[in-house]
Amino acid sequence: MGCLLSRMVKLAARAFYDDVSIMGESQSKPGRIDNRGMTVIVLDALTRRQWVREEDLAKALKLHSKQLRRTLRFFEEEKLITRVHRKESAKGAKNFNAAIAATRDTQQTTKEGEEKMKMHMHSYCCLDYAQILDVVRYRMHRMKKKLKDELDSRNTIQEYICPNCGRRYSAFDALQLVSMEDEYFHCENCNGELVAESEKLAAEQLGDGDDNARKRRHEKLKDMYQKMEDQLKPLIAQLDRVKDLPAPEFGTLQAWEARARAASQANGDSNASDSKNIQGQGYGGTPMPFLGETSIEVALSGVEAKEETEPDIKPTALKVIPPWMIKQGMNLTIEQRRGIMPEPNVEHNSDDKKSSVDDKKPSADRDNEKSLQDEYLKAYYAALVKRQEEEEASRRIQQQTELSTSAAEEPVDRRVGMKSKREDDEDIEWESAAGTGIECWVGGRNCMVYVFDGVLRQYDIKYVVYRKDNIVIPKSQIGNSSQSYKLADLNAEADASDDDNGGDDDDIAWEEVFRETAVDFAGASFANVLAAFAGRAADFGFGFAGVFLFDADFAEAGFNFAAEEDIDFVLATVLALSFEEGATGFALATVDLGFDLAVAIDLDAAGFFEMAFAATLPEESL
Amino acid sequence: MFFHITLERNMQLHPRHFGPHLRDKLVAKLMKDVEGTCSGRHGFVVAITGVEDIGKGLIREGTGFVTFPVKYQAVVFRPFKGEILEAVVTMVNKMGFFAEAGPVQIFVSNHLIPDDMEFQSGDMPNYTTSDGSVKIQKDSEVRLKIIGTRVDATEIFCIGTIKDDFLGVINDPGVTA
Repeated sequence: MGCLLSRMVKLAARAFYDDVSIMGESQSKPGRIDNRGMTVIVLDALTRRQWVREEDLAKALKLHSKQLRRTLRFFEEEKLITRVHRKESAKGAKNFNAAIAATRDTQQTTKEGEEKMKMHMHSYCCLDYAQILDVVRYRMHRMKKKLKDELDSRNTIQEYICPNCGRRYSAFDALQLVSMEDEYFHCENCNGELVAESEKLAAEQLGDGDDNARKRRHEKLKDMYQKMEDQLKPLIAQLDRVKDLPAPEFGTLQAWEARARAASQANGDSNASDSKNIQGQGYGGTPMPFLGETSIEVALSGVEAKEETEPDIKPTALKVIPPWMIKQGMNLTIEQRRGIMPEPNVEHNSDDKKSSVDDKKPSADRDNEKSLQDEYLKAYYAALVKRQEEEEASRRIQQQTELSTSAAEEPVDRRVGMKSKREDDEDIEWESAAGTGIECWVGGRNCMVYVFDGVLRQYDIKYVVYRKDNIVIPKSQIGNSSQSYKLADLNAEADASDDDNGGDDDDIAWEEVFRETAVDFAGASFANVLAAFAGRAADFGFGFAGVFLFDADFAEAGFNFAAEEDIDFVLATVLALSFEEGATGFALATVDLGFDLAVAIDLDAAGFFEMAFAATLPEESL
Repeated sequence: MFFHITLERNMQLHPRHFGPHLRDKLVAKLMKDVEGTCSGRHGFVVAITGVEDIGKGLIREGTGFVTFPVKYQAVVFRPFKGEILEAVVTMVNKMGFFAEAGPVQIFVSNHLIPDDMEFQSGDMPNYTTSDGSVKIQKDSEVRLKIIGTRVDATEIFCIGTIKDDFLGVINDPGVTA
């Protein structure tokens, strides 16, 4: 499982590498920053990516590329990552961008303009999970062995050092080469007396009676051993869980790129490789066969896109939204709700939303955010119950791996005729076999989460945050066509704003912030996006989005998260609770963002699942 | 430990030895050449027990020497890691002591001597326990365990320990107690 493995890597990083300071040799400058722990950050960042160019990583982590490179060099020596250096022109670098864009977890950088044809040395790196497993286990084995040997004081071959020239000898050498008649071993070069390298871990205690010294040494070693066991216990447990799983294979850089590009081409896109986003890339080796050639294009600049989607979607049947997608106040038809009438308390907020959306002022938005969020939670719980009932039905209906059962219509429709029109600035294209998307809008500031799953395994999550002056405005307010949003809106604001709007956008400069990440889960196909959420942490001024995903059997769950800024957001706590076989739960405390999220998922043998979701939200945001 | 193995060697014989006792002379030469030597692979050749086969001699060009391929059986001694041997102490040092078990020399460093034995220098340097009951000095017999061997092309070196159970001095040294 992807997150099990990444958790293991994170634990190992914190256990072994958190006090490693990657500093240069010249430490004279007093202004040097203390980089201890940077290794942990870098490793965490790498768990979220596959092959990544080092420059990109440096940018993402806001580190100096030199420092990053030193760190990566260190990791390469520790055999945690594989690195590939190759000379590429900027064009070649673009190819890599395309490949990255083809999978997931990209920070989309606009490199279209660059036309340098010089050959630069580009370095790429990727976590090598199989090797990491071995390395970590070997390391622990060696640690234990060393301590045990010292403890039992058994069978260690003595080493000798010459204090003058520092030359080291083993006992074998001392025996044959250096033994002379005057009771000491002498160095070959300088004839200095060799000193026995006494027990490395427990230093000799001088001055005490020898018995005491030895006993103390013994005790010290014992303590050390005990402490080591205790502190490594979580890592050992995680290793046990992980070691039987197949390790994900990213292959060499070329193979990965080729795969990515092939997959993208297989989907029939003829757009510039840079801006292609491919869905359905396997986490593992081979590209998965696409069950259909559905492509969904996401226009990031709202105007044209909305226009295009609107006519396409209108004539077709409206998408049925699973109840757990429904946010209160969504102006959905009965058909969309799959015939399930929303609860009364759900609807009365729509007016609030409408009014707030009309008014584009941030303050008004803010006021509604809170109430909205509360409503969200309420509706969510309500929908949860419905969801359980829906599960059985939905599974039967599902023919492919899809988010929502009827999602197949949507991508098909979108594809028809849309491709040609969507030559927008960003020109992002979504392709997926199943092609479902969730948009979830939170409050007045929208983080749109499109979640697609391909045939297997891979999801691209995009979220688009439009903002102006640091206030995120609903996308629908930017562009005129907002019909697309009624498909899967989580709150009514988007809907409400559909009606309004018009051409306000002409005089407003919208800043697009586009982020794209991908979720990867090894070894399972995640058929269902259970929930997607998005929000904005007002304190920090950025948006975020996340999804919970399940596989078709609801046997495994995953969670992924993306943030508007390049925050390498560390799941502070990930608990795995197992209720029953195949059930997991997780909670995370996002200290950075100021709220906590906890999810517990329980699956019973019949495949019925329960999910409990709780979040504490900052009061003033969202 | 000791092994009885078949080895092969090409012996060169000077023409002066050719005659009715050619074969005896050849065997004598073999014994003189091989016994007591050490090869890294087989260990120390302790004694030749018999000659199995002597092949046809080949006259070398330019000289009159003749080369015979000789197959012979010999007792060899090769120490292994983990083996327990009895050895005789030859030298006691502050860093440990040297002992010989037949042709092989073993070094036991003070780190691998039990902690209660202290080095005492003097004209007869030795290791002795605090109560003086056990003494290791020159010509003492000790039982030791080999914890490492280094095998060169023509030499074998060993490191040993007496820190485990049942190891240590076997009997009082032949020199005065």
